[in-house]
Amino acid sequence: MINPEMNKLVEVLLAGDHAAALAEARRLRAAGMASERIVTEGLEAAMQRLDDKCTVESFNLLEIMLAGRAVSAVVNELYPEGVPPEQGRDTFVIATLEGDVHDLGKNIAKMVLIGKGYRVVDLGKDCPVETLVNAAEREHAHAVLVSGLITPVIPQVRKVRPALDKRGLGGIRVVAGGAALKQSSAEALNVDYVAETAFDGARYLDSVARGALS
Amino acid sequence: MPELILGIDGETHRIPFEPGPSVRDILDATDFRVRSGCRGIGACGLCRVRVMEGEAGEPTQNERLHLTLAQLSQGVRLACQVIPRHDMKIEILNPAPPSNWKSSQDAALLHILHEPAVEGRWLPPEINHPCGVAVDLGTTHMCLSLFDLAKGRWLADRWGRNPQQNFGADVITRLAAAAESPGAAREIGRLAVAAIGEALLDIATRDGFDLRRIVNVTVVGNTAMLALLSSRNFELLLQPDYWTRPVVCTPLETSGWVAEWGINPAAEVDVVAPLAGFVGSDLLAGLVSTRFTEGAAPALFIDFGTNSEIALWSGEALWVTASAGGPAFESSGISCGAPAEAGAVFRVRLDEAGCVACQIIGDDRAKGVCGSGLVDLVAYLLDSGRLTSAGKFAGGETNYTFSAGGTELTLTKADVDLLQRAKAAIGVGIRALCGQAGVGMKDLQRVYVGGAFGRYLDVGSAQAIGLLPLVPPETVELAGNTALAGCCDIMLSSLAAERLNQLRSRARLVNLAHYPDFEQVFFENLYLQPLREA
Repeated sequence: MINPEMNKLVEVLLAGDHAAALAEARRLRAAGMASERIVTEGLEAAMQRLDDKCTVESFNLLEIMLAGRAVSAVVNELYPEGVPPEQGRDTFVIATLEGDVHDLGKNIAKMVLIGKGYRVVDLGKDCPVETLVNAAEREHAHAVLVSGLITPVIPQVRKVRPALDKRGLGGIRVVAGGAALKQSSAEALNVDYVAETAFDGARYLDSVARGALS
Repeated sequence: MPELILGIDGETHRIPFEPGPSVRDILDATDFRVRSGCRGIGACGLCRVRVMEGEAGEPTQNERLHLTLAQLSQGVRLACQVIPRHDMKIEILNPAPPSNWKSSQDAALLHILHEPAVEGRWLPPEINHPCGVAVDLGTTHMCLSLFDLAKGRWLADRWGRNPQQNFGADVITRLAAAAESPGAAREIGRLAVAAIGEALLDIATRDGFDLRRIVNVTVVGNTAMLALLSSRNFELLLQPDYWTRPVVCTPLETSGWVAEWGINPAAEVDVVAPLAGFVGSDLLAGLVSTRFTEGAAPALFIDFGTNSEIALWSGEALWVTASAGGPAFESSGISCGAPAEAGAVFRVRLDEAGCVACQIIGDDRAKGVCGSGLVDLVAYLLDSGRLTSAGKFAGGETNYTFSAGGTELTLTKADVDLLQRAKAAIGVGIRALCGQAGVGMKDLQRVYVGGAFGRYLDVGSAQAIGLLPLVPPETVELAGNTALAGCCDIMLSSLAAERLNQLRSRARLVNLAHYPDFEQVFFENLYLQPLREA
């Protein structure tokens, strides 16, 4: 159920209207609404609707990217210093692994998770496994997400779990997604979950996370 | 345009044609071929048809030789001897056995030979009329051209599907299949070799050609196709590091191929080396055939495909890149898509009543829409306000249904999305090359469009959705299969082979993966709107 105060924000986010989304977020804050509520009740609702729309109305890539940009703009407006780690929400580290330079899919996953109120540390593309593990340790990540468009990246994906275990980070979940990876099983990739879409991955993380903003 | 009207299995097919070619030539480009055993010169007498309506002219001497008076009086004729000028209704009396190979009647599909004659190629003296075969080994289609090497004269063309598609429609899937299992790798290579053999056999049986005259086979293709053909280094192509590095694809041993094809035992097989992992010898051949780097005028070359290759000539320097945008230009993955073969809608127009009017390749019934038809359709929907530049149907519709030759076809929003992604990848490539070379799009004085997709493309539609830069339309040359044309040039002429070597040392590779503005430029180019300067 969408909080009626958020209707306008959700609507402009879905329309991908970046300027209107920023203006609406500013208006809500000026009216005394806490940043956390704007995220949980506005952005998260927009993400839920976007998930439905992608399935039912086949939102195209451009619409998803537009919504993603609007969401990122609002998050940057609310948290210009970056999302603080100490607000009880889970932190995820996300990367496109070394050997793969296609990161549109990763960026969409990041946008969905930010929209759901998680803290996301983005390591970009062509990222070595070691950098990923270092970041997971440093940021106290609850999960790491790896995306791959092309199949040669699969051997890299298989290295993530043992590399985390070696540092005593066995509790961190590993989620894989992307065109090349979603054809494999979690077992074959040595990960906890293989996400069909960014939204599917986010649902899995919702189910295992301590909760986003509470 | 006059039509050839055929009754096949109780159904009538109408095939429009430009007057000029014979009935056999017209049929050769369709799925309804007539049996034949010579090159269409009236020698074999096999291509019997009955002319039921229309003016077929007096029987030729060859027809009188092969057909009885009773047959002639019943309207029986040889398809290769009848040249229709107006509508003609016929029945095929002696249909050809089904074949995966077609010859092309569309004269425009035939390359224009730029080299006047052969220089420098050694010809075995003991062989009468030595011949050579140029092969363009594409991911989706394979095309061959047969030439008399001594005279430089074209003899026959064939094209058909690449049979490796069971191992994946796209290059990466096929490479991964080969890398996973040595058995699969062998089979993928074998399929390509066998397909070339099948096409040659089709020429031998249909055109009465002695394959032992063939003393040279020259092959161009994208790097992955060549590596899979030769079973060499294909696993390297799965590593992005090699996309900008040379990958050796020269076969170690070709005597087995020569024996399988039944060509002259002394025949040479030349697999033209690609430039790098993502720039094949198909692109190099296209640059040879269009004389791309001659003159000081800036020029752009685009060979559209699943992995489109793009080249830019600044007048001084040559820049090359590849952009993987998905298979929309080949209409693969499009719900109402069909390959650019008989039965494909290749052009969409509005008729006087404002309704969609479709032109169909080699038939009056539509199986689906090929790449150029898709571009036309989307441009028309955009222009008429039925589709927004963001790729959304007006009024929140999720699809658009139209009738093409009695078939109902539906274009979905997901189809439009695939085209948007493919064209965005092209837009990024053009912008990146123009940026590197310091050339503005408005400065381009020649734009070459290669590939089967480019053959039927409407330049105005392509410009309207941002697939080609907004240059004066006469600047754009729809160059057809430039890879095959260039392969013929390289096979026939040592001058062309020399130009190929110059291109090799000249080309500078641009890796879009390292293009800093990739995401922003890709995003801007997802919109269906004319291309913009940076």
